[in-house]
Amino acid sequence: MSDQTFEINTAGVDAAKLVAEIRAAAEKKMTDGVYAEARIARAERLNLANLRDADEFLNFYLKCLRDAAFVDISDFPIRERRAFLGPALVALKKVLWGLLKFYTYRLWSQQNQVNGLLVTAVEGVDQKYAAKIQALEQRVQALEKQVAELSKAGEGT
Amino acid sequence: MARADRIAFVAPRFAEGGTVGGAETLLKNLAEHAAAAGRKVTFLTTCAQNHFSWENTLPPGRRQVGRMEVHFFPVDADRDVGAFLRAQQQIDRGGGVPAPVEEAWIKNSVNSRALCDFLKAHGGDFDRILAGPYLFGVTYHAAQIWPQKTFLVPCLHDEVFAYLGLMRCMFGSVAGCLFNAEPERDLAQRLYNFPAAKSTIVGMGLDPFEADATAFAKRRGLTVPYVMYSGRRELLKGTPLLCGYLHAFRERTGRDLKLVCTGSGPIEAPPEFVDHILDLGFVSEQEKREAMAGAVAFIHPSVNESFGIVLLEAWLARTPGLVHAKSAVLRWQCEQSNGGLWFRHYPDFEEALLRLLDEPALRRALGQNGRAYVERAYAWPAIMQRLFQALDHAG
Repeated sequence: MSDQTFEINTAGVDAAKLVAEIRAAAEKKMTDGVYAEARIARAERLNLANLRDADEFLNFYLKCLRDAAFVDISDFPIRERRAFLGPALVALKKVLWGLLKFYTYRLWSQQNQVNGLLVTAVEGVDQKYAAKIQALEQRVQALEKQVAELSKAGEGT
Repeated sequence: MARADRIAFVAPRFAEGGTVGGAETLLKNLAEHAAAAGRKVTFLTTCAQNHFSWENTLPPGRRQVGRMEVHFFPVDADRDVGAFLRAQQQIDRGGGVPAPVEEAWIKNSVNSRALCDFLKAHGGDFDRILAGPYLFGVTYHAAQIWPQKTFLVPCLHDEVFAYLGLMRCMFGSVAGCLFNAEPERDLAQRLYNFPAAKSTIVGMGLDPFEADATAFAKRRGLTVPYVMYSGRRELLKGTPLLCGYLHAFRERTGRDLKLVCTGSGPIEAPPEFVDHILDLGFVSEQEKREAMAGAVAFIHPSVNESFGIVLLEAWLARTPGLVHAKSAVLRWQCEQSNGGLWFRHYPDFEEALLRLLDEPALRRALGQNGRAYVERAYAWPAIMQRLFQALDHAG
């Protein structure tokens, strides 16, 4: 829920200013970890192509993804909607689940390992390139500074 | 060039009822208003109605529709859909394709030799030819016949097809372009170095209406707030993203919020969210307007728009917009009007929607600004003045 309320009148509405406020509020919450969860990673998967330019958001998305990558392999309540033969069907499903549980656990735990490794790899690649880009940016800055100093010295002679 | 008294419009489909896209609606509306202004208007189109199958479902021939003469021509039956889809897949991957792939794509796109033959034979009877939208074979080939008097109504998007070499050729050959908004014109300048002197921003006019903001909810028994989307439901329009966001919004905030949709196509949504969608399909204009008027916001999640007609309609219903920031045109319209907000990702979306839900005064103010903007910028007299200015004084 929004923490702030504003008095608005038609003439006073500035959409760009409002969006800037909304972004600031969203970014603060992102920093506080409010949005780092699997539901958002799932909702956002179709938006990734539109977020290529948002470096900070990619970091945030990777945090969400870490949570989303792991398949829930714990037991779950077995229910039956149909009233007719409901208890019998529930019992049957419980028996089937009991028989299959070991194999699904094995399967999903392997999947979880793979997912975890993939997220770690993506994070690693991202960090590696971020560090490289940062180093290159610093080098460009230093070179620009040197060029400026040299041209200044050239003007003086 | 002389005054454009005889104008031909070319479009792949003719907008009758509610079954066609925004570009066709735009062309038909411009044609109708040009005819009403006393120009002799001929509309050339295909017999197809379905934009997936392109099956010839309407009878070929000439029909008088209002003040317009409409000619229906069959879509070429020898179209190789397999070759078209293969080429399209290659283009979709991005990074450019060889010229033969582009040629295979346009050759097997939606084409009508009968329409082109008619234009070759009778093109001399027209002072100007308006053709659009840009990415159809019908438009591409029609624009080659009388390029010196052809104006594109491109409805251009920043998508892979816009980067094709043959599109650059088409834009380079025509007499002018009629764009819907400034960002669309800027895109053409960036992609094709399209000259400002040949560019005119026209858009489409909308007639103001009044709609009862409570009627829709009463009629449908809706007791909780809802947001609205109108148009085609597909990945490119962003509807699966919208459903995913709204599902996350409901779960995270605990707010009971519904989605009301009009338009065509299956809605791809998380299973748990399906029960919270009210899918109206095609409805009357009155019902759509009342639904818009009662909505908390009209949400347009598409990033591929050259003109947001439905967003403008929502503003006429005094409903604020919430659009994807990556859509240059929709965002520009929101900035220009102060009638809507834009989001980059889910956190922005949640914050913006909470503000709109919790602050009725903000909703009202944005909605009123939107309406004032549409009345100011998209009144038919202003639109037709811009259109005729471009057509009558070209060259």
